[in-house]
Parts: sequence; structure tokens; C-alpha cells
Amino acid sequence: MKKSLVLLPLIIAAGLVCSSCQPVKAWERGTLAKPEMAIDADPMETTLNTHIFFSKEASNGGHNAAGGGCGCN
Amino acid sequence: MKSRSLIALTASALALPGISSTASADTPPTVSSVGYRVSTYEEDNLPEELLFLGSPERYDIIIHQFQLVTPVGENYGLTLNSSYESMSGASPWYALPVFEGEKSIVMSGATIHEQRRDYNLSLRRYQDNGNYAFTIGTSRENDYDSWSGGFDIAHNFNNDLTTIAGGFSVSNDDINPTDAALFNRVTDESKRTSSAFVSVSQIIDQNSLFQSSLNMTRNKGFLTDPYKLADKRPDSRTQWAWSNAYRRFVNSLDAALHLDVRLYNDDFGVNSLTLDAAWYQNLGNNWQITPSIRYYSQSAADFFTPANDFSLYGVPNSSDYRLASYGAVSGGLQVQTFIDDISLVFKIERYVTDADYSIHNGQSSPALVNFTRMSLGVSYTF
Repeated sequence: MKKSLVLLPLIIAAGLVCSSCQPVKAWERGTLAKPEMAIDADPMETTLNTHIFFSKEASNGGHNAAGGGCGCN
Repeated sequence: MKSRSLIALTASALALPGISSTASADTPPTVSSVGYRVSTYEEDNLPEELLFLGSPERYDIIIHQFQLVTPVGENYGLTLNSSYESMSGASPWYALPVFEGEKSIVMSGATIHEQRRDYNLSLRRYQDNGNYAFTIGTSRENDYDSWSGGFDIAHNFNNDLTTIAGGFSVSNDDINPTDAALFNRVTDESKRTSSAFVSVSQIIDQNSLFQSSLNMTRNKGFLTDPYKLADKRPDSRTQWAWSNAYRRFVNSLDAALHLDVRLYNDDFGVNSLTLDAAWYQNLGNNWQITPSIRYYSQSAADFFTPANDFSLYGVPNSSDYRLASYGAVSGGLQVQTFIDDISLVFKIERYVTDADYSIHNGQSSPALVNFTRMSLGVSYTF
């Protein structure tokens, strides 16, 4: 029961999105493969930004696991 | 010479969803790249009318980042990230009840000089229907050492339109504050962090995709800030973050829209909302300009007090501005150019906080931080 509740946000999000999904063939994915279309379009920028906000805000967490810490304050 | 479009077409021809959180394509890297970026991070001085004692000059940091991405054999990709930070400045030590106008903040007296080195290595194995990776990392400071390790896996299905992914990481941090005897600080403390995530990614159509991720992080051990006077925090913390990302390419404008929303909650009592938007505008084949805006709002931690209450010795309480209720707005502008195999990038970002920007409840702090960050980078593909 608790596991279902935890995954509920993902199920809702996927359901809402999939309701408008269209089949996209492999050869139709040129636009999706553009660097600026990546979830993380600039990993070095993301690494720096994540580090700054981790150090200066109380919130933490994104599209992957947390990794290591630091004494930054 | 490998142009951006050729690299993109190579990736698309391999025809996997390309929606991993850490790579632009769900295929092994076919070329190697090295990148270097230098950034300056400068916090505004604490206003004199708030300063009771100490230095008003807050942190200035210079950050050097290095990245290497290279194929290993036919099915593996190796990514090495490292960074070196050099920091100087002062930070709020404690807060007094307001008197003499607005003066309440006591800053650390002596200017702090510190360095941090960070190394992160990831080896990813790519398969027909997904990928998995092992990651190790370390962060070294003179008073703080951290080791971490992690694993993540992604699986594509539904004609490669959908990807589910998950992973976990663990880290062990050792904390040995400087001048411990002089300021009666702790010595030889530790903290353990366990973190896990699951995500669902979906290609919506030829021009848009979506990702939703749930992240749980649990800290155990010494979570107090040893450099703040009379700071005491619980010895465990469980954090939840629900992150959603939407990407849409607008063919008529040759631009990509990024929208991100994160909801966050933890058992310190902090709730937050983060909204990000960015517009990647291509200008011909060789230039890209990206304005971005971010809004952030958080509630105060249950044990936050705007001024230190020294009668609360031994029970959780903190005047750390990062645990206060506040909101922040930041705006950035990035310019990138591509010359053959070389890419140059410049970015400037301004971050401004205010108690009135928050949509959450709780008391705020007079010591909120504003900063300006600039980055200049170069990368080379070979």
C-alpha cells in the first residue's frame, strides 16, 4: 500500500503524458536527438548549479541519486 | 571534423530514446570530448545595517571544472568529472534578537580560505534495450571528506518510446572542523547518506518528451553545521523530491523549450517548489543563445529561529538562513558558439532572495544570500 502511494506521482504523470502520445519511428527521432533536447543539455552546467543550490538552499534531489556530500556552506 | 548535426544524426540513427538524465543519447559515445569551465561565484556583502559584528564580505568562490567523456570498446562509455574550488569570505555565525536598528547578524570574524577537490568517475554499459552504470566519487576538503558510490539502470520498452530507470547511491562523510578546541567545536563526526530514485521517461511525439522522477534521500549522523554557534539539528533526515521535466522543440523557430517543476518535502519540516524554464535558441548552425529563469520557494524548518535562542541548548534549533522561509528568483543568459570541433560557452546568472517571494509559511532570516555567477567554458570533440 505504501509503495503504491510512493509511486503514485509517477503513475499519474506517465498516465497524463501517455494519453497524448504518438508512435514515433526510429528514423523520426532526429529532432529528439538534438543536444538541446536532452533532459540534461549541459552536464557541466547542471553539476555546478546542483552544487550551488545544494549548498545554499534546504532542498535537494532531482532525476538521479544524491551521490556524495561536501562541507560547503 | 564532426559537426553538431552529424553527432546528433549519428545518435538518432542508433534510434534509442535518448532520454537518460545524464546523456543526450542512450547510445555509447562514438567520439571523445574534453571540457574545461571556469566560474566565479560572488555573494553580495551583508548590508551594513544588518551587521552587528564581523566581516560583511560573504563568499567569493572560483570553480574550475574538467570533464572527459570517451568510448571504451564498442559498448561502454566512461565519464570523468573533476572540479577544484577556491573559496574566501565570511558566513553568518549566529543571529541576535534585533536591537540598535536592524543589527542582528554576527558574521565569522576572520576571513575563511578553503579549497575543495572533487572527482567523479562513471562507467556506463549500453545494451540494445537500455544501459546501466557504476559511479564512484570523492570530495576532499581540509575539514570534510566524502566518498560515494552508486548504480543506476535504465530499460527501454514500448518500441523504445518509454524508459524506466532507477538507481541508488551511498556516501560516507567525515567531518573534522578546524579550530575545534578554540571554538569548542566537535571533532571527528560522520554522516551517512543513502539515496534512491525511480523515473519514467516518455517520448510524446517527434518534437517533445517528458520525464518524471521520484527521489528519496536519507541522511543519518551529524547533520549540524559545526561552524554556526549553538546550532543543533536532528541526527536523521528523510528527503523526498518529485521532479518533472518537459522538452519541446519548436521547428518554426529552431529552438527548444525546457520546463522543469520540482516538489520537495522532508522531515525537517521543509517544503519547497522549484520552477525552471529555459529557451535554447539556435541562430544559424554555429550560435545558440539561452535565456533562463528559475523560481524557488521554501518553508522554514520546524526548528528554525530567526535569532539564536541560547536557552534551547541541546535541542534542535538553528538560525541558519538556509533553513528559513524565503523565495528566490534567478535569471541567466548563456551564449554558446560552435567552431568545427570546438565549443565555447559563456553564462551569467543573478540570484536574488527575499522573504516576500516565498509562497510557503514560516519565519524568515535577515541573512538571506544573493549572488552573481559567471562561467566561461570550452570543449573539444575528437
